[in-house]
Amino acid sequence: MTTATATTLDLADIQGDILRAYGNAYASTTYVFVRIGDATAGGAWLAGLADQITNAEPWADGKPGSHLNVALTCAGLTALGLPDDVIGSFSAEFRAGMAGRAERLGDIGRNAPDRWDDGLGTGAAHVLVTVNALDEPHLGRALADLRAEVARHGHEIVVEQAAHTLPGSREHFGFADGFAQPAIEGATDDRAAGGGVPLRGGRWRPFAPGEFILGYPDEDTTLDPERRLPSAPTDPLGRNGTYMVWRKLHQDVAAFRDTISTAARHFEDGDEAKLRAKVVGRWENGSPLVTHPDAPATDFDGAAAGANDFRYHGPDQHGAKCPIGAHVRRSNPRDSIGWEGRLTYRHRIIRRGMPYGDPLPVGAADDGEERGLVFACFNASISRQFEAIQVQWLNDGNVFGLGHDADFLMGGIAEGGSMVVQGECPFYLGPQKPFVTVRGGEYLFVPGIAALRAIATWPR
Amino acid sequence: MTAVTTPVLSETGTGTPPGNVDGQAIAITVFSTVKRWGRAWLPVLFLEPKLLPQTLGTLEKLSFIHFARWSMVTELAWNGAPQPKTRLRRPHLYFESNFNGGWEEYIDAFSYVLREGMAAFWGSSYGFPGAVPPGPFKDYIKTSDRRLEASHFYSAYADSTVTIVKQALELDGLVADLRERAAELSPEQFKAEFSALLAKGQRCL
Repeated sequence: MTTATATTLDLADIQGDILRAYGNAYASTTYVFVRIGDATAGGAWLAGLADQITNAEPWADGKPGSHLNVALTCAGLTALGLPDDVIGSFSAEFRAGMAGRAERLGDIGRNAPDRWDDGLGTGAAHVLVTVNALDEPHLGRALADLRAEVARHGHEIVVEQAAHTLPGSREHFGFADGFAQPAIEGATDDRAAGGGVPLRGGRWRPFAPGEFILGYPDEDTTLDPERRLPSAPTDPLGRNGTYMVWRKLHQDVAAFRDTISTAARHFEDGDEAKLRAKVVGRWENGSPLVTHPDAPATDFDGAAAGANDFRYHGPDQHGAKCPIGAHVRRSNPRDSIGWEGRLTYRHRIIRRGMPYGDPLPVGAADDGEERGLVFACFNASISRQFEAIQVQWLNDGNVFGLGHDADFLMGGIAEGGSMVVQGECPFYLGPQKPFVTVRGGEYLFVPGIAALRAIATWPR
Repeated sequence: MTAVTTPVLSETGTGTPPGNVDGQAIAITVFSTVKRWGRAWLPVLFLEPKLLPQTLGTLEKLSFIHFARWSMVTELAWNGAPQPKTRLRRPHLYFESNFNGGWEEYIDAFSYVLREGMAAFWGSSYGFPGAVPPGPFKDYIKTSDRRLEASHFYSAYADSTVTIVKQALELDGLVADLRERAAELSPEQFKAEFSALLAKGQRCL
């Protein structure tokens, strides 16, 4: 067992998209999944990519035109010829892959892997190259170079998923997104209020970096007299990397709008915007319901200091302001289930997401087009962080006292979810067809840059 | 270790032997060898729950835990062949509990919320690493020679959790009360009373 020493983050070795949300500054993201042909050629290609990766150091000369980041599936590590004992040092859930964990994740029925997009969940996706670009010309150049290199090395692109910001930085249901991110010691300490670990007296502190970056002390290390580090893959792979969850979520925008507008006829004078906010837990511009229960803050700025500094248990224990089952309250419950958040703080993720497909115009009927969200997140333990949120908090409501109700926005395993909106008189959102369907996904390992070079040049 | 165990043949995804799962209910067992001083300490602890007032109160509030029971075992009853006769050279602490939800989250509650109480119960057992951090504590509980698989495990309401049953009982009381008075209420009064019932019982709906 390794013990903790220095906690300064090695920003030059950490890939840049983990700690920084490019989506806030970059209009488009394209996710390219590549199948490796030959292991040696795979190594040669990755060695070239490693030189182009953007690291986590601050940008010295303003925004670069495009960025490239790399992650690998377990099938990818195998295809690259890594020995079994090295692969065995990765977490069990990563080795099983997202499709292998489908039953646990509730990815059955409409969400089952056999219905996923071609190339996902089959072992064919080996390497994910994420390309962020400021504009179309930069994107076009970066993708052309990437495609040429993939072909030159005898590999094959199995999925190429374009995604882009929508007008007003909203997702397809109309909400501004991505405000509540964990604050990380040594990286985003300034975001601790509302983003860190809740403490007594309304205070917060940033998370130990090992919750999100491998090779560093995590929250257990700080409680451990022996200062043991969390488990990580064999060195040098276990340094400055993390695990990534990638999920393509189709959104049925027309169904969501129809459901809310039909139900709102019986809700508080037909207030559709408020009912939408009750389902999500934030108003469309992002203002939290718990701090703005009656109307959104007109000038809400999610990036402003204190914008996300709120709790649930004290101000709104019974959900009169923000329903107990609202999406943001379930997926990041803070202290909603009591004990000042001590039963929730080990289940946080760094969330990244980007919409794909064109928006459905307001008032339009369903056009059958593909649109939704590419959900991506980073965490040091997929089972403890992402899977716990998905399984314990979104797919089942028991821990919140909501019975077996799944998250109303995401929809559960069974068809026809419902939700109670607490208030002076409770409002019941009856069983609905689901708004969100999983189109595919992968569990990935995001190596540090030195680790990627080690993988590229592994003795074969 | 002298613990007697049932061999664990396979595991469910949560690391729980399949015999310890029935619908929403999961059983957990730990059978640990107790140090000499535990033989004196544990009976005192069991007789004086006031030593741990916070632990017991918190356990009651954590409604995903149905119950938790610690007992000291000094001898194993023999029920005849084919059961082998087993003599315990040292006393053992037998812990059993039923819960809903995730195994990891269950132990996390012990570590993060019930830390002191766990040290009081398990501190006199060999190998107990402390309840914090939870990682080594989970490994301790998972160690197969401390874990028993139930040969019979039954849940009356397999699809329901304890929280759901408690909410249903609370709502049932409210409905029964209104039903009793309903015949004497005017339609307007009934409407008002029914709305009041929904408001009062909304966390059970």
